[in-house]
Amino acid sequence: MNFVISRRRMLGALAGALGWIASQPVAKASKATVQKLLAGSPAPKGYDPTQHKWLMCIDVDRCIGCGLCVDACKTENHVPEASSFFRTWVERYIIKKPADGGNDVRGEVLVDSPNGGRGGFQPSLVPREEILRSFFVPKLCNLCEHSPCAQACPVGATFDSPDGAVLVDPTYCIGCGFCIQACPYGCRFMNPHTKTAEKCSLCYHRITRGLKPACVEVCPGHARIFGDLKNPVENDPIQEFVRKNKVFTLKPHLGTDPRVLYANMDKEVR
Amino acid sequence: MNHFKMPPQIVRLVLLTLVVVGSYGVARRLLVPPSFGEYGWFRGAAIAELAQTKPVLAGMKSCDECHSEILQTLAKHDHKTLSCESCHGASRTHADDPDTKPPKVKFADSDCLRCHQSNFSRPAWFKQVDPYEHFRGDHCTGCHMPHQPKDTP
Repeated sequence: MNFVISRRRMLGALAGALGWIASQPVAKASKATVQKLLAGSPAPKGYDPTQHKWLMCIDVDRCIGCGLCVDACKTENHVPEASSFFRTWVERYIIKKPADGGNDVRGEVLVDSPNGGRGGFQPSLVPREEILRSFFVPKLCNLCEHSPCAQACPVGATFDSPDGAVLVDPTYCIGCGFCIQACPYGCRFMNPHTKTAEKCSLCYHRITRGLKPACVEVCPGHARIFGDLKNPVENDPIQEFVRKNKVFTLKPHLGTDPRVLYANMDKEVR
Repeated sequence: MNHFKMPPQIVRLVLLTLVVVGSYGVARRLLVPPSFGEYGWFRGAAIAELAQTKPVLAGMKSCDECHSEILQTLAKHDHKTLSCESCHGASRTHADDPDTKPPKVKFADSDCLRCHQSNFSRPAWFKQVDPYEHFRGDHCTGCHMPHQPKDTP
């Protein structure tokens, strides 16, 4: 079989090739237009997420329950005012004395968080004689290494950033709420204005500028300690914290491997 | 001469497959964000976009640029662990442009009691008072200076 290419076919093939080459800039431009419609303008760079690994440590013994962190977080991140939306909040644990003659060493556990601890806590109405132990526990996104929320997201809008923060891409979030159900720590909520899922971002706009997260900045008791594992400073507070304390994580049995470490925590804290 | 001729239905099938696969390829090229997969299974540009929000709290470092005297006083006394904005409120607008007055904060006794009111849930090392037993003057600031709480004005 011998191929004879007619003049007409040859010219046709050449015209096709030329057309394909000519269409390349058009294809590029159309791709850029579609992307612009989908995601807005690309942002400038200057912060390399692979060069950091952020970590939050919380010393339960140093939390005085003033709720300044909750206030600061709401202001800093423009969290809706209503008392059901929090990126961070403070819980009060009250462990009652066990019933006489019972088998327990510790009694009933009461947990409350009036308005997320915003504005501080009034003394509890539980009589002091009945209380065995009481303390405050600040809560925030647990920065899971294997985050259930990122696995649940059907559009890849929630992701584990290489620097350890678990973030939500608001331009791609479709507001389905799967991540809110997936988070075992209840750290997410649906923003009623933007209709996208929201959560603690470790004040991403602050830490990328070299500032501390808002809650860490205002904490009067230094109960919250924040640092970078990849760039330890002199007398690094994180290294000191993990050296001096026995550290725990919340719900370790779930295998989420949180990077928020708690010290001096009781077994009742969930 | 080979008389084998490709059956037309096969030709149509091949063409149809090419069209389907080709249109999938074109759609994928157009729809997948350019920075997708830069760091992982997500749009890499989202990281830089999220970092663009403007901070509301200025941070203690920017206060230190002008008010370092007050900060030095604070560092010598018991309120040294506090940040300026813990009590004075978010002040980035003032830090960016010192001519803009920071939000005026009216200090009330409740601002002190928020931390110092005796509460069984607070850790025992922390200084707490029962305002009804402890209170002698008009206001907390009548006896305690906020920057050096053990000194009387």
